[in-house]
Amino acid sequence: MFLRILDRLEEILIAGLIAAATLLIFISVLQRYAIGVPFLYPYFYHFNLTWAQELCIYMFVWMAKFGAAYGVRTGIHVGVDVVVNQLRPEIRQRVILFGLFCGALFTFVVGTMGAKFVTGLFFTEQVSPDLELPRWIVFLCVPLGSYLMCFRFLQVGWTFWRIGELPQHDAGHVEGIEAAADNLHPKAIR
Amino acid sequence: MNSVFIFGLLIALMLTGMPISIALGLTVLSFLFLLTHVPIEAVALKLFTGIENFEIMAIPFFILAGNFLTHGGVAKRMIRFATSLIGHWYGGLGLAGVMACALFAAISGSSPATVVAIGSIIMPAMVQQGFPKRFGAGVITTSGALGILIPPSIVMVIYAVATGGSVVTGPSGERVLSASVGQLFMAGFIPGIILASMLGMVTFYRAWKNNYPRMEPATWWECLEAFRKSVWGLLLIVIVLGGIYSGFFTPTEAAAMSAVYAFFIAVFVYRDLKLRDVPRVLLGSANMSAMILYIVTNAVLFSFLMTSEQIPQQMVAWIERSGLGWVEFLLIVNLLLLVAGNVMEPSSIVLITAPILFPIAAKLGIHPVHLGILMTVNMEIGLCHPPVGLNLYVASGIAKMGITELTIAVLPWLLTMLVFLVIVTYVPELSLWLPRMLGML
Repeated sequence: MFLRILDRLEEILIAGLIAAATLLIFISVLQRYAIGVPFLYPYFYHFNLTWAQELCIYMFVWMAKFGAAYGVRTGIHVGVDVVVNQLRPEIRQRVILFGLFCGALFTFVVGTMGAKFVTGLFFTEQVSPDLELPRWIVFLCVPLGSYLMCFRFLQVGWTFWRIGELPQHDAGHVEGIEAAADNLHPKAIR
Repeated sequence: MNSVFIFGLLIALMLTGMPISIALGLTVLSFLFLLTHVPIEAVALKLFTGIENFEIMAIPFFILAGNFLTHGGVAKRMIRFATSLIGHWYGGLGLAGVMACALFAAISGSSPATVVAIGSIIMPAMVQQGFPKRFGAGVITTSGALGILIPPSIVMVIYAVATGGSVVTGPSGERVLSASVGQLFMAGFIPGIILASMLGMVTFYRAWKNNYPRMEPATWWECLEAFRKSVWGLLLIVIVLGGIYSGFFTPTEAAAMSAVYAFFIAVFVYRDLKLRDVPRVLLGSANMSAMILYIVTNAVLFSFLMTSEQIPQQMVAWIERSGLGWVEFLLIVNLLLLVAGNVMEPSSIVLITAPILFPIAAKLGIHPVHLGILMTVNMEIGLCHPPVGLNLYVASGIAKMGITELTIAVLPWLLTMLVFLVIVTYVPELSLWLPRMLGML
C-alpha cells in the first residue's frame, strides 16, 4: 500500500515537473515578445520573469534526480551487456546482482554526501541568485532522490534474486503501433 | 599510471553490465577514496551543480517534443507524402521509406523510434508488393539512423554540453571556443541531406538492377494533399532552426517552444493523441530525460576527475610528441568511436570521449563543429551494426528476422555509411559551409 502511494507520487512529481517547466519557458518567451508590442506593453511590463530560467533549471534537476530513481524501476538505465549475456546463468545472476548492489552502494554514498551537504547549508543564509530561495531547499533533491534510487536498486535486486526477472524498457515504443520485441537488457535467468 | 587505473576500473565496471552512469560515478568515488587528496567536498559540489546549466535543459524539451509527434499516425502521413513524390521511381516504396525516415527524423530525435514508426508500416507493405524482406529491413534499419544527424538532435546537444566550458588552445596557442548547439544543428543539415541521398541512391540502384516493383505516379493534387497533411509536423524543424538562426530563441527556448507546438499539433490538429494520454507521454519523456541527465551528471564528475588528473593535457602532449597529423588522428578517432559504438549507446560515448578528443582536435587545428558532426556520424553507424546496434534490435523485432540475417541485409547501406563517414571526416567544408555562409561561425 505504502509502496503504491510512493510509486504514484514519484510518477506525478516527474511528469508534473516536465510539464510545468515547459509551460514556464513557453510563457516567459511569449512575455518577452509581448513586451515588445506597444499596445500589449501596459499589460505585461509588470510581470518580471527573469527568474524563469533559474526555476526551470531547478525543476529539471529535481526531475532528473527522482526520474533516475523511477528509471531504475522501469529498467531504462542501460549498460554494456554484451559480455554478461554470454555467461552461464548462475554466474550471470551473480554478476547482475553485483551490478545492482554497486548501484545501491553508489546512490547511498551520494545520498549521504548530499545529506551532509544540505545540513551544512541549512545553517547558512545562502539563497539562490534570482529566486532567493534558500539553497538547502534546492539541494534537498540530492539526498532524497539518491536514497530513493538506492531503495529502488535494492528493490529490483530483491525481485531479481527471488523471481529472476529484471524490469525492461522498450526503446522502440511508438504510440499507435504494436510493440516490438527488444533484447537489449540482461536476459532473465528463468 | 593514474589514467590506467581510471580507465581500467571504468571498463571493468562497465563490463559487468551495470548502468553506465553508475560505472562512471563509482570509478570517480573509488579513485577519490583510494588515490588522491582532492577534497571530497569539491567533488560533491560538482555532483550537485554539474547540470545547473540552461543549455542542458534543451535535452528534456527535445525529447518531449519528439515524443508528442512520435506517433504511428504522423509516420503514416510522412510515408504518404514521400510515396506520392518519389514512389514511382525505381525503388518505389523502399526509396519512399528512406525519404519518410529522413522527414520523420527531423521531428523525432530518436533513431530506434524512427525505425519502428516507419518500418512497421512500410515493411509489411513492401513484402506485400513483392520486395524481398531483407531489402526492406536493410533500408529502414539504416535510414532510421538519420534521426541523430538531422537536427534537432540530442547527441549534438550532448556534444555541445560535454565540450562547453573547457579551456583549450589551437595550433598556434590561441583560444578555441567550443561549438554551440545552434552551429551544430546548422552544420548537421547538409550532411544529413547528403547521407539521405546516398542511401536513396543505393536503394535506387539495387531496385533498378533487380527490377523491384514501382508505384503508380501520383497526381499533382495527391502530392499537394499529402504535403498539406504532413506539413504541420515538418514545421517543427522550421521553428527550431529558424528560431535559433534568427535569434528569436536560444536553443533551449526553441526546444521548449517546439515541445508546446508538438503538443498542440498532436492533440488538436492531428488528433492522434487523446488528452488523457498526455500524462503517459509526459512520464515517458521524463523517464528518458532523467536517464540521460543522470549520465550527464556522472560524466561531468568523471571529466572533472580527468581534468584534475591532467589526462587530456597529457594526451595532447603525447600526440604532439608523436608527430601525428590531423589525417591520422581523425582515422584513429573514427576507429575508436566505431569500436565504442559496438558496445555502448551514443550519449554515453559522446559524454566520455568528447572531453578528451576535443582538446587534442583543437591542438591539431580541427574545427570543433567538424569534430561534432564526425562524432555524430560515427554514432549513427554504431546504431546499425551488431552487437549493440539499437536499430538492428528494434528492426529485427518488427521484421521478424534474426540479427545475423539482418546484419547481412544492412551491409550495402552500412558500407555506404562508412564511405560517407570517410567523406565527412576528410571534407570539413561539408559540415562547415552552411554555418559559415549563415555567419554563425
